[in-house]
Amino acid sequence: MVNLEKYTNVFVSTFSITEEQTKGLKYQDIEAWDSVGHMGLIAAIEDAFSIMLEPDDIVDFSSFEKGRDILKKYNMEL
Amino acid sequence: MTEELILKNLDAYEIQQYQQNRYPCFFVDFIEEAIAGKSAKGYKNFTYNEWFFPAHFEDEPNVPGFVQIETLTQVFLMTFLTFPENKGKKTGFVSVKNANFKKKIIPGERMDIEATLASYRRGLAQGKATGYVKGEIACRIELVIAIPDIMKEFRPKSSKE
Repeated sequence: MVNLEKYTNVFVSTFSITEEQTKGLKYQDIEAWDSVGHMGLIAAIEDAFSIMLEPDDIVDFSSFEKGRDILKKYNMEL
Repeated sequence: MTEELILKNLDAYEIQQYQQNRYPCFFVDFIEEAIAGKSAKGYKNFTYNEWFFPAHFEDEPNVPGFVQIETLTQVFLMTFLTFPENKGKKTGFVSVKNANFKKKIIPGERMDIEATLASYRRGLAQGKATGYVKGEIACRIELVIAIPDIMKEFRPKSSKE
């Protein structure tokens, strides 16, 4: 639960959105989540969880929910 | 621990092996030192022969702000285009923040530039650059620069771009 809060907060602070807006959020749904924003999001997630994502996972990271699944591979229970 | 890659005394031709800016949009004369992933120091001499001086302005020639930004940026580029895998790649602005112009730069003056890289990850570089004329700060900026060729490798599959 702590991890989910941390994960949500990364989206909230990176994209300046509300917690409510993170639900169902997909790449390019909002202006801030463009290709540059994506790099900022990934960097912020890596910093928050002290991990390094594999390139394939960065490409697959196309939504808030998809990201939760991907982080499970890194032993993060969200 | 990996060894730092330090380059010294690069002339205009050598600098152009690392970046794709060319005359009339090439604004670095010399790189005194570039440490890949860390910093770069270089300079640009502004002579009256520069193409922009007669137009900016006829009765009061001085270096336009956009040229100062580009000069600072081109030295900053040397902090990450010096990674062997980035050499010669095209770059693009993502953002320029907190641009400050402190001093009018006139024909005959030289701007010394110091740039530092705060972070570089997957084609996205962030940092700052400061220009000095006669030892005084003339201008400074904070930058985010992208290498589009690298960044596009990490775009989600659902990309509409």
